Amino acid sequence: MLAIKRLCSAIAVLLLLTSAAAIAQQGPNQHAKVELIARQVAVTPGKDLQLGVHFMLEKGWHIYWINPGDSGQPPSFKWHLPPEFSVGEIQWPRPERLQPSKELVDYGYDGEVLLPLTIHPPPAIGDRSAEFGAEAKWLICREVCIPEHASLHLTLPVSSAVGIEQRHAQLFERTDKLLPQRLPSNWKVSFVSAKDELQLTIRAGKPITKAGFFPLDPGQIDNPAPQKLQPTSTGAKITLKKSDLLVKPITILRGVLVIPGGPAYRIEAPVRQPIQ
Amino acid sequence: MYPRYRLILRTCALLALMASAFAVKVGEPAPGFTAVDSNGKQQRLSDYKGKFVVLEWHNQGCPYTRKHYESGNMQRLQKEWTAKGVVWLTVISSAPGTQGFVTPSQENDYLKTMNAAPTAVLMDPGGSLGHLYAAKTTPHMFIIGPNGTLIYNGAIDDRPTSDQSDIASSKNYVSAALEQAMGGKPVAEAATRPYGCSVKYKD
Repeated sequence: MLAIKRLCSAIAVLLLLTSAAAIAQQGPNQHAKVELIARQVAVTPGKDLQLGVHFMLEKGWHIYWINPGDSGQPPSFKWHLPPEFSVGEIQWPRPERLQPSKELVDYGYDGEVLLPLTIHPPPAIGDRSAEFGAEAKWLICREVCIPEHASLHLTLPVSSAVGIEQRHAQLFERTDKLLPQRLPSNWKVSFVSAKDELQLTIRAGKPITKAGFFPLDPGQIDNPAPQKLQPTSTGAKITLKKSDLLVKPITILRGVLVIPGGPAYRIEAPVRQPIQ
Repeated sequence: MYPRYRLILRTCALLALMASAFAVKVGEPAPGFTAVDSNGKQQRLSDYKGKFVVLEWHNQGCPYTRKHYESGNMQRLQKEWTAKGVVWLTVISSAPGTQGFVTPSQENDYLKTMNAAPTAVLMDPGGSLGHLYAAKTTPHMFIIGPNGTLIYNGAIDDRPTSDQSDIASSKNYVSAALEQAMGGKPVAEAATRPYGCSVKYKD
C-alpha cells in the first residue's frame, strides 16, 4: 500500500512538473513559474468551478499576501472569461511573517503557493469547451524586488459530468487546510483600544499558548512590533502596537488569527474605544 | 583623521540613541539630524528652519523608484517644489553591497544622467537616518513644516504599483500636502501607507 502511495505521489510530482513546463507566455529568467489550474476536469453548466493560480518560486524568493505588510505588493490578475461566466475573489492562504529588517515586516509566501478562486459558469453553455485566461502580475523579492508577469491560459471541456482532476487534487486539498476558516461558533474575539496599543481578547473555552494576528488592512498595526501573548484560562490576550501612520481611530479590525501547527481563522470585530 | 572618525562615531551613536527615543508621528516634532551629502557637505535639518523640507527615500535599482524616475515624475516634483522654496533631500540608506548603494560620485553621475534636481542627496549607508525616521520603503516620503513639525509621512501617491502608466491617474500625496500646508490649510491625508521595495538596511 505504502509503495503504491509513493509511486502515486512520484507520478503526481512528475505530472505537476510536466504541466508546469507547459506554461506559455512567460518572460525569460523569471524567478517564479506560474500556471493556471482547475480542481475539476470539466466545466459543468451552472455549477461552481474552482481554479487556482499556482506559484512555484525559486528558492529564497517570496511573493506577497493581500496585505503585503510594510513593503511589497500582492499579485494581481486581469481575467478573461467566456461570455456570462463570472469570477469570485482570490482566497488567500494564511501568510508567513517575513522580516527583511528590524524596521519592516512583510506578509507573504515562499516556496509554493496556490491562490484558489471560484468561477461561476452560466446555467447553459453553447460551446464544447471553455477558455480561461489571466494577465498575472506579481512582485517577487529576495534582497531585491522584481515585477514579473505572465499570460496564463487554461482550456476545459464542457461536460455535465463532474470529476476531480487527480493531478491537482493533493495541491488543492493541501491549500484548503491553509485557508482561513470561520471562527468556531463558541469562540469570541474582541478588540479594545488603549493609548498606543490594541488588545485582542480571544475566548475559546480553553487556554491558547501560541497565536499570531495578521491584519487584513494595511497601516493599522505596527507590523514589526512583537505581539505579546498572554494565555488565559479561557483563551488569550494579544497586545498589538498601533501603527505610527494611524491618524484616525480604528473602528473595525479584520485579519487572520493563526494558531501555529493548527488552523487559521478569519476574525473581524469592532474596536472598543477607551472610556475617557 | 582620528578626531574626525570619533565625531562620525559619536554622531552615529547619537542618531542611534535618538532613533530609540523618538517615534516619528505626524503632528509631532520631526527628529533633528546631521548627515553628509553626495558633495561631502554637512546637511543639518536645523539649517532649514522656516522652510518646508521633503525627505525622499531612494534606491535607484528599485522598480518602484525607477517608476518615478524613468517617467520623470520625481524630477518634475523636485523642480516644481524647490522652485517654490521647498528643500528636497533625497536619502540613500542602502548598505554597502545591497541594491541602491552608491558612492557619492556615482550618485552625482546618476543625478546628472537622470536630470534630477533635489536640493541634496544624503548618504546614509549605515542606515542611522533611515532608522531615525523608520523609513520603510523606497520611495517613502516625509514632509517637515517650517516650524519643524512632521506634516506628512507615507507614500508618494495612491497607486502602489511599479507601472509608469499608473502615474497619470494617480493622486500625488506629496504635492497635495505641500499645496494644502502652503495655503495655510491642514493636510487632509497626512499619513498613508508607503509602498515600494524595503529599504536595504545593514541590519
